Amino acid sequence: MKAGERIVAHAVVPLDFTYNYRVGQYIERYIKALGEKKIMAVKCQDCGRVFVPPRKICGTCNRILDEWVEVGPEGTIEIFTIGHVKLNKGLVEKIDKPSIIAMVKLDGASSLLPCVINGLDPEKVKKGLRVKAVFKEPPEDSLFDLDHFEPVG
Amino acid sequence: MERKVAVVGYAMTRQASDIGVPRPIMLFELVKGLFDQMGITRDDIDTFVLCSNDFQCGRTISNVFEDTPVGAYMKDETKVEADGVMAVMYGAIRIMSGLYDTALVVGNSLGGSEFRPYLIMDYQLHPAYDRQLGILNEPVTAALQAKAYMEKYKITEDHLNKIAARLLRNAAKNPFALRGKEDATPEYIASSEYLYEPLRELHCYPFTDGACAVVLASDKRAKALTDKPVWIKGFGDSIEGYFLGDRDLSWSRSAKVAADRAYRMAGISNPAKEIDVAEISIKFASQEPIICEALGLFPEGSGAEVADRGLAEIGGEMPVCPSGGGLGAYPFSAMGLIRVAECAKQINGEAGDIQVKDVKTAVAHGQDGFCAQHNAVMVLSSEEG
Repeated sequence: MKAGERIVAHAVVPLDFTYNYRVGQYIERYIKALGEKKIMAVKCQDCGRVFVPPRKICGTCNRILDEWVEVGPEGTIEIFTIGHVKLNKGLVEKIDKPSIIAMVKLDGASSLLPCVINGLDPEKVKKGLRVKAVFKEPPEDSLFDLDHFEPVG
Repeated sequence: MERKVAVVGYAMTRQASDIGVPRPIMLFELVKGLFDQMGITRDDIDTFVLCSNDFQCGRTISNVFEDTPVGAYMKDETKVEADGVMAVMYGAIRIMSGLYDTALVVGNSLGGSEFRPYLIMDYQLHPAYDRQLGILNEPVTAALQAKAYMEKYKITEDHLNKIAARLLRNAAKNPFALRGKEDATPEYIASSEYLYEPLRELHCYPFTDGACAVVLASDKRAKALTDKPVWIKGFGDSIEGYFLGDRDLSWSRSAKVAADRAYRMAGISNPAKEIDVAEISIKFASQEPIICEALGLFPEGSGAEVADRGLAEIGGEMPVCPSGGGLGAYPFSAMGLIRVAECAKQINGEAGDIQVKDVKTAVAHGQDGFCAQHNAVMVLSSEEG
């Protein structure tokens, strides 16, 4: 670019508005139970699978799920990844201490729940490890009442 | 197929991290160039199928500013929000209906310069659950999918590195790809930083600007428009449920269902033998064996052997992504459309340095969603049959 030449290259356009989603009675009931240190799931009366987080419809059977069951609070790590970064609004940022993110099969559940595992050296995480839910005290009536998971014992 | 449909023309932009022009100009130059190359005008196109995404464009009804540049002014036009293979399916179905004889399918995305692909993917998360918690994001889900496959079938990170290195070497020979490296080795891939284990930076797709346009025609019109029509022999798509925890991530059920539908329609009973080249849409190196196996190109759980023996190389038993695929460039929306165009190039012997020998039948694959929730498969062939 020549000295003094001005280029207007970009229009930076933020989208700055908020959606107000209704969580629905299933997530509402799930959150309320978390406050009592319980993890609630729904069972399909056709295929028998137990889903957590609870949702209203079984895709396979195309029916309403209406039988509530308690699962966990212990479970087993089925798949895990060790995070060396985090995403901040879509940008990759390095983190100092690696994180553990796992898909945990809670006792009594058929589906896996995405979880953060704390209190464990990332080098020691493995498939099959038993973990338990740690709840927020006092509860704040949000999804974050299920704060994280940690190794059993 | 009651009414046959062929790809009769195609063009793509250079895929870049910043294509340097606004979207309408990119699209005008691409499509006008294609029309000129084919010796046609917009009057020769009966219906237009645009493939782009409102969130990625940052405005609702993203096609409003795309219609005029692609020549759709006052024409019959519709839009597909998902992947480009689905847009080609949509265009083909419109021609098969008998209402139209020609269709222009155009897909585009400016994920390199205009928006952040990982952020856009965050907006696919369940708003009242996963998006609140912030545990999942696209590379996390891909890493979990990779682990599920790798642990089940004893695949190592070295195998992933071999897959990524092969794709970058292929991409280096493809003048349209964004990221390539002629001498890429597994060690070179392993020298890039981890994001979420086992995925390193060079296992992941590069953020890409790009567009692709394909002209489809009925058998009635195809031969008047080109000497070398590439016939769409079959297609299928399939979608899984949203929740990752409900899925067995070690394989892709929906890619298999989509492929089975496409092969049935195309009369293919043994894809590993009958298909000469595959162009699949993978966002992460670890997705390649999962998708290839779902498409029946290699046996279940064979990822290690395929990587060790170089079976997916350009000169291998079953060449996969001679273009470099998703590690060479991944323009959302246009991705699957480029796969269709690359298949047509291969069938027509126009692929230059990445040409596979004697290609008659090719398969194109597109995906959308976390861990390829939605898959579409299309079989293309030089034989009208």
